[in-house]
Amino acid sequence: MTPHIIEIGPWQLVMCLGFVLLAGATSVYHRLGLGRDLLVGTVRTFAQLFIMGYVLTFVFEVRTVWLVLLMFTCMVAAAIHIIRGRVKERGVPFLVPTFGSMLLSYALVSWLVTGVVVGARPWWTPQYFIPLAGMIVGNSMTAISLSLDRLFSDLRSRRAEVEMRLCLGADPAEASADIMRGAIRAAMTPSINSLMAVGLVSLPGMMTGQILSGTDPLIAIRYQIVVMLMLVASTALGAMLVTGLVRRRCFTKGHSLALRQPA
Amino acid sequence: MNLALEGVTFGYPGRPELLRDASLVMEDGAYVLLRGPSGAGKSTLLRLLCRLEEPLAGRILLDSDPIDAMPPAQLRRTVAYVQQMPTLIPGTVRENLLLPFSFKANGGRVPPGDDALADRLAAFLLDGVTPDSRAETLSVGQAQRVCLIRSLLLEPRAVLMDEPTASLDQRSAEVVLAKAAELSRQGTTVVMVSHSSDDPAGVTRHACVSGCALEYA
Repeated sequence: MTPHIIEIGPWQLVMCLGFVLLAGATSVYHRLGLGRDLLVGTVRTFAQLFIMGYVLTFVFEVRTVWLVLLMFTCMVAAAIHIIRGRVKERGVPFLVPTFGSMLLSYALVSWLVTGVVVGARPWWTPQYFIPLAGMIVGNSMTAISLSLDRLFSDLRSRRAEVEMRLCLGADPAEASADIMRGAIRAAMTPSINSLMAVGLVSLPGMMTGQILSGTDPLIAIRYQIVVMLMLVASTALGAMLVTGLVRRRCFTKGHSLALRQPA
Repeated sequence: MNLALEGVTFGYPGRPELLRDASLVMEDGAYVLLRGPSGAGKSTLLRLLCRLEEPLAGRILLDSDPIDAMPPAQLRRTVAYVQQMPTLIPGTVRENLLLPFSFKANGGRVPPGDDALADRLAAFLLDGVTPDSRAETLSVGQAQRVCLIRSLLLEPRAVLMDEPTASLDQRSAEVVLAKAAELSRQGTTVVMVSHSSDDPAGVTRHACVSGCALEYA
């Protein structure tokens, strides 16, 4: 296949705003009140992606490991910011352990994929490391939110069961083992489901992007397989570390639940 | 075994205080009936005694040692707390009764066999309930008695019971109260929350929580 990319020019982008107008008309017709969100969302999409485009161009040209790692850290920090918005729990400080375990586990998986599986040299080659790490952070962010939400809500709703076990001599890990399993399962289920559906129900974004940019579909699918499998691993590793560390903060040193019902 | 409160103050965050500067000493084998209006802090007092809550001020002592200096699992093996609402895990009665023996802290204890479990169930008038019965099929009253048996299998030296007879018929309630009196005679300290105006046989002390104060007589 001959690589041939049809460039999207400014007027074509402007034409695409017609799609937003269509969505806006739906909102007006059905009185959904989504007009403002649509406007802000569209402006943010343009702004964020253009900024990211320029940043990536700069990082690809400079090619230093520190800049790549800084960008990776910023991606994890942005994910933490979004997780903070999605997880409503405020009784337990969970952001620092979440940030630490996401940084560690996703850096490990990203390095394994770029340096060992793909074999990029050096391992931090920005064209490989940044998009792959970005997909890991982006996908796992949702998984970590689901898992933390599940952990906190189950510790609250199943408080009597947890305390029953504590009163019979269980330590916090034993008292909340079922709840931990549920939280990790909540994180892993979407990525396992997507393993079942990929290629049948959906063509993933990365593969689609590669094919649009002229890559042989048989190469694109191999990258996609690597991505799908790395997402399962990163989700499992991240959820296990995050829930393990955050769970400790849900109990006092006297082995009682630190989570309280709102006053 | 002595259980004592020394100047204990407690309140849940953002809510009025429930106890202020409360003190009492429950001697070896005391059978204490704990009364007070709803929401006054009777259950909270039991939760403080097994460290499910921490006092804002003051100390709780077990045989003169502060309970916060003991490993929590050891404290809760010594001071058993039977919750007001019986909590069982899905599974058989046997799995529920042997649950404490699956925890690391109780590793050195030998779990009782089926015959011993069946004897315990019969002693609490749980007719028709066997170790193989499903926990999900038990009535609230039956579940309450299974929870009590489970706590007693660890041979605690103090038992905190939160309205243990509230869901029981008269005959079953009598069995539970007789068991409480028997435990007290054998030297186990018993603290029982009750809304009943009658005194069960064997009660040696009365405590009343009301308006942040704890009276003990």
